Amino acid sequence: MSSLRTIRMPMSREEARSLRAGDMVLLDGEIVITAGLPTVQRLVACAEEGREPPIPLAGGSLMHLGSYSRDTAEGGLEVLYMNPTTSTRFNALMPRLIRHFGLTAVGGKGGLDAGCVEAMREVGCVYLSFLGGGAPLHSAAIEAVREVAYPDLVAHYRLVRLAVRGLGPLTVGIDAHGNSLFDSLRHDAEARMPEILARLAADRAGAG
Amino acid sequence: MPITYEAVKALSAQLYDWSLRAVPADTKDGLGRALAAESHEGARQVLAMMLGSARKAEAEGRFICSDAGVPVYHVTIGTAARLEGDIKAAISDGFDELVATIDPPLLKHVTNPLTNERGYKGKDMPLVTWDVAGGADWVEILCQPKALGSGRWAALETFSFPTLAEIEAYVMKVVLQAGSQHCPPVIVGVGIGGSFDVAARIASKATMRPIGSTNPEPVLAAMEERLLRAVNATGFGPMGTGGDTTALAVHVDYASGHGYTPVAVCFNCWINRRTRARIHGDGTVERLE
Repeated sequence: MSSLRTIRMPMSREEARSLRAGDMVLLDGEIVITAGLPTVQRLVACAEEGREPPIPLAGGSLMHLGSYSRDTAEGGLEVLYMNPTTSTRFNALMPRLIRHFGLTAVGGKGGLDAGCVEAMREVGCVYLSFLGGGAPLHSAAIEAVREVAYPDLVAHYRLVRLAVRGLGPLTVGIDAHGNSLFDSLRHDAEARMPEILARLAADRAGAG
Repeated sequence: MPITYEAVKALSAQLYDWSLRAVPADTKDGLGRALAAESHEGARQVLAMMLGSARKAEAEGRFICSDAGVPVYHVTIGTAARLEGDIKAAISDGFDELVATIDPPLLKHVTNPLTNERGYKGKDMPLVTWDVAGGADWVEILCQPKALGSGRWAALETFSFPTLAEIEAYVMKVVLQAGSQHCPPVIVGVGIGGSFDVAARIASKATMRPIGSTNPEPVLAAMEERLLRAVNATGFGPMGTGGDTTALAVHVDYASGHGYTPVAVCFNCWINRRTRARIHGDGTVERLE
């Protein structure tokens, strides 16, 4: 059964380990987001060269979310809209970031591969699946833009620290115990394929 | 009266704007039916959120997805339509005007594939296909912005004299490759035959057919029905986190060919962005979708 609980961000490692794949959660607090491959490459360079990234990530989150922020009249920033991007694009880079910064939560849509699942298990980190095409809902959960880094990049590639309230519901797609809905669903679909093809053959014979 | 550059430019911009802020009616109906039939609790929650996101986008005029994709237009020109001005430039200029004026602004998604640099303009952008309708006095424009979810997982393979079993097995192979990635539940388009480019175009056009419509070819209608059952038996579910609803529809079309038979498979993500309108010979604009 899915359960819905609200989690304070940044997520504690203990809380991350308490979640199970398939659970549904809401997020309150601060998250860090980007939808850019060049951004994630820069963060990996920070890790490799021992530099602090422009927005600290240690023990925090990195969500694959793209956003459009603009300056407000009061001198602040507002996010006009926000939505997830495909996480598998970052498969090769995420294990390094998860381990180096001890991330407790990552997210986006479509999941991450086995190398990431292993890093998440070691570190105590979960993957949260956001609704794609959920911009009206996700954007409404943003309370404030705390910080924007890498202004030389296009808007959705920038690294952004946000305060959110009630962001979600999000599905725990990968838990901190090595369970990935994405891997298990793929495995199940592959295992089911002979049966699916046999049913197609039977249907074709029936239709003939 | 002629169909003018100005009319085509204005409509091209408007169609794109409309497509970003609403989910087509047939698609919302399909999501509603899926929600009623879905047996997986988490999947029901995700489907309900999809419908909620669509309602909120429409009620508040918001973008449903932050990825506005790249502009893709299909233009059909009636052979009896009188045209005035550069209709081809009108489509491109319409998109430029939209970029300059739309609120909130669009993110830069037009990508140079040689450098991966992104902006609003690029070679051959917008992507436009042109068709001709015999005798009609109108110009019809269909706008279908394409982004990663609706574009990345398409595939094509060419077979020699394939059986239906081989064709359907290939469709399922592409469905398995896409897995959880394409923002399901999707609309699956399948194009069979013709040539390399024709098969791809048929598949793409098949995704534009309204959900719930029946294929007029009985052989294809039966194929669509059994493939939809097969795709949904994979269990990837809404947003690929499990459930009975991986596709809302499978639409198949074909063209005769040589015997080397390309089979193209493509997807539209659940928001299924699609708007369509006609400019008639008397200057009136009729919104069709």
